Amino acid sequence: MTLEALSRPSLVRRLVILAAGWTLAVLLVSAIVLALLFQQAAIRRFDQGLAELIDNLTAGASIDDRGQVIAPALTDLRALRAYSGKYWQIAEPTPQGGIHVLVRSRSLWDSELEAPADIAAQLRSRPGQPVSYDTRDELGKPLRAMATQVKLPNRAAPVIFMAAEDRGPVDRDVRGFITATAVVFVLLGVGMVAAVVIQVRVGLNPLFALRREVASVRRGKAERVVRVYPTELAPLADELNALMAHNQEVVERQRTHVGNLAHALKTPLSVMLTEARQTKGSLAGVVEEQAEAMRQQVDHHLRRARAAARTQGSGERTPVAEVLDELSRTLERIFLDKGVVIDWDAPDDLYFLGERQDLLELAGNAMENAGKWCKAKVRIRTTPISPERFRLSIEDDGPGLTPEEREEVVRRGARLDESAPGSGLGLSIIDELARAYGGSLTLGPSRLGGLLVELDLPRAEA
Amino acid sequence: MRILLVEDDPDLSRQLKAALSDAGYAVDHAPDGEEAQFLGETEPYDAVILDLGLPKVDGVSVLERWRRGNVATPVLILTARGAWSEKVAGFDAGADDYLTKPFHTEELLARLRALLRRSAGHAAPSLSIGGLRLDPRAARATVNGEPLRLTSLEYRLLHYLMMHEGRVISRTELVEHLYDQDFDRDSNTIEVFIGRVRKKIGADRIETVRGLGYRLTAPAEELGGAAT
Repeated sequence: MTLEALSRPSLVRRLVILAAGWTLAVLLVSAIVLALLFQQAAIRRFDQGLAELIDNLTAGASIDDRGQVIAPALTDLRALRAYSGKYWQIAEPTPQGGIHVLVRSRSLWDSELEAPADIAAQLRSRPGQPVSYDTRDELGKPLRAMATQVKLPNRAAPVIFMAAEDRGPVDRDVRGFITATAVVFVLLGVGMVAAVVIQVRVGLNPLFALRREVASVRRGKAERVVRVYPTELAPLADELNALMAHNQEVVERQRTHVGNLAHALKTPLSVMLTEARQTKGSLAGVVEEQAEAMRQQVDHHLRRARAAARTQGSGERTPVAEVLDELSRTLERIFLDKGVVIDWDAPDDLYFLGERQDLLELAGNAMENAGKWCKAKVRIRTTPISPERFRLSIEDDGPGLTPEEREEVVRRGARLDESAPGSGLGLSIIDELARAYGGSLTLGPSRLGGLLVELDLPRAEA
Repeated sequence: MRILLVEDDPDLSRQLKAALSDAGYAVDHAPDGEEAQFLGETEPYDAVILDLGLPKVDGVSVLERWRRGNVATPVLILTARGAWSEKVAGFDAGADDYLTKPFHTEELLARLRALLRRSAGHAAPSLSIGGLRLDPRAARATVNGEPLRLTSLEYRLLHYLMMHEGRVISRTELVEHLYDQDFDRDSNTIEVFIGRVRKKIGADRIETVRGLGYRLTAPAEELGGAAT
């Protein structure tokens, strides 16, 4: 795609970007929410474990006669091994706002569980409620800790029970969950964007089909848009058909007008020509000259009008053999005195994709030309080139043209607009018509001795 | 020589009438199709100059009616319309020559002279075999009165077969007759022409004699015989 094409607004792109953007945003938000929920749930479970440990401590703790706190004998081995990752301690708040450790698990060895500076204040404000926080042990392992302030019987000062555990496994679980979620959601996103692209293309398919149909109408392969379109496009297709019909009508009307005008001028011109011929004097000469010029102009523009109308395809098809048969009979009559014999050949199932009148003009002018220059023989052959095109070759046994002359004729044909009307060979008309049909005219030497005229023309399916 | 001029434009009629009279022809003028048809059918003209765009009945229809009524007078068509479709229609209706307006009077007179010379030529007898008729003078053929539309090679083939009615004619003989002496490789085969002529006159008229050639015969039942 070129830069220009990219900067142009595109329905497909707009729909894809909108749908994909929306989808991706939804996916991203869901992924984040899921991860957060998972993390919260994991930590809640973790905290429950800590709360149980604190409950066990609280339930088992006792006060001896001296008011010393005696910790219960807990069976969890991890609390006994040094720096195992599972710790507990029992402390009391100090008047300075800090805490003073009374008893601690073996695993803490000679360290203490760190606590936030304002822990005592926090606990005092919520007696009996646990307070959770994150910290690190002596080895730097991340810990999740919990503390509860309780009043024990037989002891005036409140006691703080604290428990902590290595939160590494939970963090690892959360990270694993986030990675898996991300992978799944990225895959889901790619899949959904692909689905959106397919959906848009499939959804817009009738639009592309309509474009193709209109193009084939323009190229003359069809007369109108005929497919059945969805409700949204059907009115557009109808409008297009109406527009094309209108165009056709306008062109047809113009053509008829031009034709009528041209033909209406011809009889008065005949009269003027004849009258001028029979009169002597300079005026007669001028009239004759000008009448002749007018005749040529009328012919020229009549032909141009006919050829111009050809760009409007009609989708009509014309049997080639029939037209060649008609023209052969007619031309043999025209050249009866000369005894011209036309030998044509074309399969019965060969059809020209275009109007009968145009094939008559194309072949008729080429054949008349051949008849004019031949000694006695004109040969016409047809060769299918492809399912869409065929070649019509017309050759004669006349004097022909030298390569230089052929070049000159072709060169003149290449710029028809400037060429004078009434050119001697009549090939310009053929060239113009053949071009209007997307075809071409080529000249060459004939094996019969004269000129070979080859026309490349559109072919209709049999 | 007596000529019928059919033309509706008064100025052109006057001019042509004058020019034809000056050239020594006796001229009758018909300004519309109806009168032209009547005059052509009743008066023995040597040639007709027929304009195609006529009031009442158009030129092509007038010509078709004459030919159907066996009026064989040579006809030169005048028309403003020079499209091939119109030329084909004119010749198929039975015209002998065609001139597109505007034209020089000299050209019209020259064409007329050629037309008269041609029709006055060799008066070869016409051939007739079981509804099939061939008139060598006008180079026209009809089947049961309907004009046959033949190209020159098809006409030659039919003419030769009719001249040798009932005889088996070999392909070689037909080729020699159709293509003169310089027969070349690229020419159509005889089968192509036999096929086309059969299509135009009815398939059962020309019989294929295997290994030998072709033979034209009159159908066993005249006219009524269904070609099944």
